Amino acid sequence: MRWLPAFLSAALLAAPSLAAKKSAEERFTAFHTKSLSSTPVKLRDNTYRELTGAPRDYTAAVLLTAMDARFGCQLCREFQPEWDLLSRSWTNGDKAGESRLVFGTLDFSDGRDVFMSLGLQTAPILLLFPPTVGPHAAASPEPIRYDFTNGPQTAEQIHSWVARHLADRPHPPIKRPFNWMRWISTFVVLSGGLTASFVAWPYVLPVIQSRSVWAAITLISILLFTSGHMFNHIRNVPYVAGDGRGGVSYFASGFQNQYGLETQIVAAIYGVLALSGISLAIKVPRMTDPRAQGIAIFAWGGILFLVYSFLLSVFRGKNAGYPFSLPPFM
Amino acid sequence: MSADPLQALASAGKGENTRSLLRFIILALIAGAAIASRLFSVIRFESIIHEFDPWFNFRATKYLVANGFYNFWDWFDDRTWHPLGRVTGGTLYPGLMVTSGIIYHALRALAIPVDIRNICVLLAPAFSGLTAIAAYLLTNEMTPNSSAGLLAALFMGIAPGYISRSVAGSYDNEAIAIFLLVFTFYLWIKALKQGSMLWGALCALFYGYMVASWGGYAFITCLLPLHAFVLICMGRYSTRLYVSYTTWYALGTLASMQIPFVGFLPVKTSEHMPALGIFGFLQLLAFLDYIRSAIPGRQFQTFLWLFAGGTFGLGLLGLVLATSAGVIAPWGGRFYSLWDTSYAKIHIPIIASVSEHQPTAWPAFFFDLNMLIWLFPVGVYLCFQELADEHVFIVVYALFGSYFAGVMVRLMLTLTPVVCVAAAIAVSTLLDTYLSAKSPSPPPAHAADGGEGAGKKAAKAGLKSTTKPVVGIYGLWGKGMMVGAMAVYLLLFVLHCTWVTSNAYSSPSVVLASKMPDGSQHIIDDYREAYQWLRQNTREDAKIMSWWDYGYQIGGMADRPTLVDNNTWNNTHIATVGKAMSSSEEVSYPIMRQHEVDYVLVVFGGLLGYSGDDINKFLWMVRIAEGIWPDEVSERAFFTPRGEYRVDGEATDAMKNSLMYKMSYYNYNNLFPPGQAMDRMRNARLPEVGPTLSTIEEAFTSENWIIRIYKVKDLDNLGRDHMSAAAFDRGSKKKKAAKKRGPRQLRVD
Repeated sequence: MRWLPAFLSAALLAAPSLAAKKSAEERFTAFHTKSLSSTPVKLRDNTYRELTGAPRDYTAAVLLTAMDARFGCQLCREFQPEWDLLSRSWTNGDKAGESRLVFGTLDFSDGRDVFMSLGLQTAPILLLFPPTVGPHAAASPEPIRYDFTNGPQTAEQIHSWVARHLADRPHPPIKRPFNWMRWISTFVVLSGGLTASFVAWPYVLPVIQSRSVWAAITLISILLFTSGHMFNHIRNVPYVAGDGRGGVSYFASGFQNQYGLETQIVAAIYGVLALSGISLAIKVPRMTDPRAQGIAIFAWGGILFLVYSFLLSVFRGKNAGYPFSLPPFM
Repeated sequence: MSADPLQALASAGKGENTRSLLRFIILALIAGAAIASRLFSVIRFESIIHEFDPWFNFRATKYLVANGFYNFWDWFDDRTWHPLGRVTGGTLYPGLMVTSGIIYHALRALAIPVDIRNICVLLAPAFSGLTAIAAYLLTNEMTPNSSAGLLAALFMGIAPGYISRSVAGSYDNEAIAIFLLVFTFYLWIKALKQGSMLWGALCALFYGYMVASWGGYAFITCLLPLHAFVLICMGRYSTRLYVSYTTWYALGTLASMQIPFVGFLPVKTSEHMPALGIFGFLQLLAFLDYIRSAIPGRQFQTFLWLFAGGTFGLGLLGLVLATSAGVIAPWGGRFYSLWDTSYAKIHIPIIASVSEHQPTAWPAFFFDLNMLIWLFPVGVYLCFQELADEHVFIVVYALFGSYFAGVMVRLMLTLTPVVCVAAAIAVSTLLDTYLSAKSPSPPPAHAADGGEGAGKKAAKAGLKSTTKPVVGIYGLWGKGMMVGAMAVYLLLFVLHCTWVTSNAYSSPSVVLASKMPDGSQHIIDDYREAYQWLRQNTREDAKIMSWWDYGYQIGGMADRPTLVDNNTWNNTHIATVGKAMSSSEEVSYPIMRQHEVDYVLVVFGGLLGYSGDDINKFLWMVRIAEGIWPDEVSERAFFTPRGEYRVDGEATDAMKNSLMYKMSYYNYNNLFPPGQAMDRMRNARLPEVGPTLSTIEEAFTSENWIIRIYKVKDLDNLGRDHMSAAAFDRGSKKKKAAKKRGPRQLRVD
């Protein structure tokens, strides 16, 4: 029994050299049958060379990736399901192999040599090897490279990229599997929510019908929107930034700029101003004690004046030419 | 004794007639102030149309006045979007042009010959006076206190948020649309309060006018159903609501469908569906209401309400299904980008590229509204006190207006009216409280208990803070302090508004102003210089290629056909221009030949440090072109490996070879001593050898180099391609020079 491993290894060693002698047609048939059972075809160093060997009358799309957790390639892991989906729906839609396209994946741990010989520093990279012979032969045998510069791509985007390079060949569309999990969970959450709201209805109703609650919600949303919260949301501005001397700068320089904390400060300023306005307009005239009322007028009026003066000084920081100010923040 | 003159003054305002007269005079003065504060640009520069879009409106108005209404309605414009042309009559909002046309003809009938340009320039200020009056009417529906209305009119008249789009010369749709918006809302509230079909029909009439004037009519189309829906949810369904809403919807929709540009959109697109849905829902409610009045019984009622809710849900489901099946068009890109704020950036770069469509940072809110921005929540809170149907409208409008204004700078305009109304309610409440001459006498201790009992009853419905009855202000000094402070704030507001209008919103942007070292004003008039050059030195039908921003100006001022303009209806055509600008000459030349381009116009701010130039907009051209031709144009190629966007010696090859770069910097280094060429806008030192051009030649460069015009060369008359012809021209000179000199010989004597 000692000869068996030796024989096996010999056979494995011999395989690529044998394969290289196979004609392009045979290689395509072999890989196509393989991909019908499991696609994308998992490649190794030797099979990669075989697939992308020089005289080929078919196209090969190879994803060079690094799935091992050691490499910490977030992009690879995010893109892998999309890649699998693309190759699966393409192969299923083209069982006869009319598009003459084979999908393959080469992991770094399986094909270290290929990565070295290509001089690759990053992953994932998608290579599309155009045919060198046959009716679709391209002018240059060099593979076309797809860089993932814009983050993870969806299967549809890669599909359109591949389809663009495979003119006048069938392009089987992408079929996303039906997401049962999502529908079931949506249904469960919805029915659960309905039940909960039915049970809690007597307790929730007075809150919903309370005018003060609605007034609070309205005012808070108005303050959020008018202090530039949507700008933060859309532009993803930093919360605070350093001022370059080790401190923190709370207010961004420039009229078209702002930080997250800055908008919260401004919202708070508006909130205090509005609150003192509401107190002066509604609460103070309803006070029955003359002395308390006098103190309240003085306090709220003073706060209003001081905070407004501060707001003007903040605004002058944003808009250098602004000429108006109130004491004490001149 | 000393109170005598005071009393005389007070009694003078007592009579109802005197009061109306005073109100009338004050309103007239406010309207006058509103108009006057918008005239800065006319006084400083001249009576000129501003910016970009107004130039098209002006051109269309001239066409309308010259050719009559029916020709205008059928206008096919072959001088824009060459070679496609544009069905202009069917793709514009005609309200603005028709309004000025009517004014023009009315004045001529009165034998007052006014130039159409002056009517166009002054239309926006005139309508702002009307807006102030409309704000007065709207606010009067909210409170019985007419001083709030006067304050609202004043705020509306001078708030920079509205002035920004309505100074003299800014002849744009918004100029009349804001008046129509506020007035439609006033008519809606009036119709709703009285349940009157007449007011509803008037509301529909002005709604139709609004649809004819501005695409922002969708704001009304969505806000009124939302108001109705909130009222229904609050259990405030009434026949008043039914009558006013159905009248408005039926007549208003019919009116809006008369505009060719709108056509059948009100029954086909999603943004109009809420109005239709609420219309149907109201019919159902009216039917159920009738049944309920006919058949009493508590269980039956429950059943009915469930039935109503179920039908509403089914209708919503049907709407979703019809949308996904494609019967109803999904939300238009512009509207959809308001909800999903990242949508435009990914899918429609042309919308994301417009600076008006950027989100609003907080300084912009304060800049445009000043103290109104913090009085606004106070006013909204005061609306919660009574919370009648019309106050619900203010609350709903405030919420949605502030959301939209936060997402898009341009929609600050729709927020401003409600801010003015709410702030006016707040200020008038404050002033009424602290300005009343009467002081209450300190109450006896037991009086407080009686007040509380009465308050408890009110507490159920109202706000917590308004449970106690109003007593008034005791101290005279408290009153004095508050009134003094309010006077200071109001004065500051007026100063702020004047300053903002004068400094930020009164520049025509066609003419730039700068300060000389001695403080005197220097006018930079490059745009008009260049457009005048085009008008006088080129053929009548010479096609000008430029980025779309300048299309309307070229059409309006130079009167030459353009490839693309600010009416961005054909993305592919714009991308074609973007591709021509961002590709090398070999690629661009065939494109320009195919589109029969005679001249190319670029805007260059490097010499003057003018920020709105084409190199700064260049990335958008690349992006839009990449959206259509991802294989041929790539944004990545315009950034250095380190991810910087550079124009100096380290710029990428794609950048240096692009037509836009070459046209901007061609011959620029000749202005400076060798090796010292500086781009003052981007603070970049340019390479010593400037770019060379072979397929186009410089035709005109304006005084400050802001506008550069290039002529596209005709085919070479020896049949060579332009590259080799140009290389031959350059190369032969060098060779000749070398030959003349001959080989150098050492002379030995």
